[in-house]
Amino acid sequence: MRTRRSARRLAVGAGKTVAVAALLIWSLFPIAFIAMSSLKPGQEIFAVPPHYIFTPTFEHYVALWTRWSAFFDGLANSTIITAGATALAVITSTCAGYVYSRNSSRFLDASVLFLIVVRLIPPIVVTLPLFPLINMLNLNDTHVVLMVLYATFFVSLGTILMRTFIDQIPRELDEAAEIDGASRLTTLRKVVVPLAAPGILAVAIFVVVFAWNEFLFAFIFTATRAKTAPLVISEMIGSIDGVDWGILFAASSVQLAPILIFVSLMNRYLVAGLTAGATKG
Amino acid sequence: MKDKLTFELTRRSFLGTAIAGAAALAASPALAAAKTLNVLSHKVHQTVLGSGDGDLLKDWKGANDADVSFTTFDSNPLQDRLFREAGLTETDYGVGYIVDNRPTSEIASLFDPLKDYLDRNAIEDFGDIAPGLVEGMTVDGKLIGIPVRHATQGLFYNEALLEEAGISAPPTTLEELVEQAKKLTFTSKSGTPVTGMILASDLAVFPVMFARAFGGDFITRDFKLVPDPAALEQGVEVLRGMFEAGALPRSYATTKNDDQVTWIQQGRAAFTVLPFARSAQLNNPEQSKFPGKIKGIEFPGSSSIAGSKPMSSVVEAWGMVIPRNAKDKNLAWSFIKEVSSKRVTLGMALNGNGSVRVSSYADPALIEKNPLAKVEAKVLANARAAFPPFPEAARAQATMLEEVQLAVLGRKPVKDAVASIIERVKPMMPA
Amino acid sequence: MRTRSAVHLMPLLAPVHVLILSVIVLPSIYVIWLSLTQSTFGQAPTFVGLENYVHVLTDPAFHSALWNTVVLVVVAVHVELALALLLALLFASGLPFRRLLLVAVMAPYAVSEVTAVVMWRFLFDPDAGPITLMLQALGLPILDWSFEPSHAMILIALLTIWMHLPFTFIILYAARLAIPNELYEAARIDGATPLQAFRRVTLPLLGPAIAVALLFRYIFAFRMFSEVWLLTNGGPARMTEVVAVYLYQEAFSYNAFGTAAATAWIMVIVALLLAAGYVFILRKQVSANAH
Repeated sequence: MRTRRSARRLAVGAGKTVAVAALLIWSLFPIAFIAMSSLKPGQEIFAVPPHYIFTPTFEHYVALWTRWSAFFDGLANSTIITAGATALAVITSTCAGYVYSRNSSRFLDASVLFLIVVRLIPPIVVTLPLFPLINMLNLNDTHVVLMVLYATFFVSLGTILMRTFIDQIPRELDEAAEIDGASRLTTLRKVVVPLAAPGILAVAIFVVVFAWNEFLFAFIFTATRAKTAPLVISEMIGSIDGVDWGILFAASSVQLAPILIFVSLMNRYLVAGLTAGATKG
Repeated sequence: MKDKLTFELTRRSFLGTAIAGAAALAASPALAAAKTLNVLSHKVHQTVLGSGDGDLLKDWKGANDADVSFTTFDSNPLQDRLFREAGLTETDYGVGYIVDNRPTSEIASLFDPLKDYLDRNAIEDFGDIAPGLVEGMTVDGKLIGIPVRHATQGLFYNEALLEEAGISAPPTTLEELVEQAKKLTFTSKSGTPVTGMILASDLAVFPVMFARAFGGDFITRDFKLVPDPAALEQGVEVLRGMFEAGALPRSYATTKNDDQVTWIQQGRAAFTVLPFARSAQLNNPEQSKFPGKIKGIEFPGSSSIAGSKPMSSVVEAWGMVIPRNAKDKNLAWSFIKEVSSKRVTLGMALNGNGSVRVSSYADPALIEKNPLAKVEAKVLANARAAFPPFPEAARAQATMLEEVQLAVLGRKPVKDAVASIIERVKPMMPA
Repeated sequence: MRTRSAVHLMPLLAPVHVLILSVIVLPSIYVIWLSLTQSTFGQAPTFVGLENYVHVLTDPAFHSALWNTVVLVVVAVHVELALALLLALLFASGLPFRRLLLVAVMAPYAVSEVTAVVMWRFLFDPDAGPITLMLQALGLPILDWSFEPSHAMILIALLTIWMHLPFTFIILYAARLAIPNELYEAARIDGATPLQAFRRVTLPLLGPAIAVALLFRYIFAFRMFSEVWLLTNGGPARMTEVVAVYLYQEAFSYNAFGTAAATAWIMVIVALLLAAGYVFILRKQVSANAH
């Protein structure tokens, strides 16, 4: 009996190990390849067959720094825009998600449907009328335009996710707060938000990643002052003078690093929050 | 609801201005010229004008108390943005860069005709600028752009690989080129599998060059569609034959322009067709395994037309335009005039720009710096655009490429593909 | 709980709806008008009625693009869901270094599409890509994606799964963690096998999360663009083109804004039909939750 059980455990362990190994290769190999390529001397990058052992060089990072200063301005712009868009999306989605979770009426059901249906419209379409409009308002090439656009295209998902998360918070808690005389906004802030933190983080991760990497809107609505990092990278790829792949991979790695770090940091809280929520039932 | 909306908007615009203002303050150093000229271009156009001590516009900036602010995009987005800006009631951009296959009548109407400017305040020795390029910037009889850069296609080959395969001289006819490309489909001494030739499949340039090698064309300057179907068939047949023999990569249908560069640099292909200006990159010791070994020559025509017709390679040119809705047009013209001067044109050529002035190619400094300048000048003399601009040109190009791909991959007989090209593109031709 | 009147809820609901109305809905209404006109750069729109819709709906290229899109959506989204579910259960069953592994799973999500495609193109290069070489060394068939359209579709599906698996995974994993452990203990005491526990406890309770994940993945996958545009450019010979690429070509390559607008609305309607089933499920969830 005992040997059979331990044999099974061993088999499960082995299965898990294989699964984890496959997972790591699947997820990380392409990324590692990008990072590795950025450290290879220029003529090695596309060598056939590829070299896995080489003397790393930072020449591409130096070149990126000296020749593409616009890239670093782009990173700064991306940071500002991502932060703004995330704050806007998270706050508005949490408010709306709270309403949808705690109330029900035909009107509300219809408006949830509306949130979803609206998202079926491809973003590319609204750029046609928005371009002259935004110019008219003198908002072209400002950070605010992109913050608003990015937030808007994520509030549907955000609202629905927040509703599902807030659904899991017992209603008795906010009812109790209300009986104590707290306003709805206070209840939301003091009771719901702390408990819905994992959900808020999940939504934030989605918006951050989207806003950090978005290309189409950035390309249409910015010029110099609000130009984002992906836009600068796309210029490196399309250069009519030829692509300098080393610099491109260096830029990609630099652009990737903060978001990877952000996602890993958030993961920590996300897991902690989710686990806490789970044990509380 | 409506009040809310306007309120939101004013607050946003206020915030927008505040944040953008702060960003601008933080970003720009404390130099302030009286005027700023906003230019919409590719990064290359900005780079060739030099910077710092090598800034070719230093004197102009001083004399006009003006600063130049470039907004740069990749080629296609750049054109898109330029047309969008020029379609507004007013734009901040004084000068834009346009590529010569884009200005249709509709697009040309977005920009100021430049004849008046030329008459009032002439460009130095305007006749020195290649007439073919000036013609390319003339739409409906109106000059709308001043040529500033061109890229003429040449044939590049890897001298080391040719030697390894026992070939002593590069091809002088298309037939020789095909034969050599097939011979060069082998595994080199270093163990790299070599493909005879690499060409991108998403650009009209290549099928057009092969058709022209047989005296044919896709769409002529006077809008004749496939004037000589047999010549186009022969050209596509050659591509098909090379693909079948493995002398074009298996990945032909997804090969892009940049793949051509990396394959040549890595010695994975022996021949390619690229603008002469790419020579520097192909031989760049930091990226290329064969620095100094990648040579450029004129793309050879078929022996069947040798002597009767000169080979007409493909050239792409850029011009500077002034949007109709620009604010300070005088400053814009003054910039164009300066950039087109002999001094700046030569300076840009030394920085790697394809010079639009015939005189630049005789300059000793350029000859020394760019050994291909002489060949390029000769090829340029007979070169013309891949196809002329017309409203449905992009669609016509895509249709032609789709059929060529089908034929090259062997999914459709060459004859049928060429017939389909003619049939499908005909309704797209201008009336 | 008593239902408050809509007016009281407005302050909390308004921001989301103001954003959506001003940025998406109003411009889209203008686009309906645009779809009934013919226009390009330098040419004011002229009314042409339903001509653009007829043009798109009778274009064989659009038919094949629509077919490719539906195939990719159906295959990629469901495979992705299955993988995400397996992964979520694997994580929930307890793993060493879970935090680090979670970062690894989420990592592809952070990679921008452009970078991802550049790397995948090289990894799967049919002549010399490391993965091609590896497959050849193992004696396995390679993905001849630049020649065989079906192989190209497989590669596109793989890439899109690679990029979006983290999204689906994190939604399902979060929902799985929210299931109280007591339920599993109760199931075990009742003598349920792990498979039964999965079917009776996990699956029903994950229902809403699966619906949300599927719905949004359907929406995103239906307008899949970069994967195809950057990887195969719709080739060979337009045989892997998808509707978003068709739309992009009309708008940005051909500057035919009327046809582009019509394509967009056709996309919305087709997507609406496809998503209708899931919206229905979701709506049932909404009312189930509310009562």
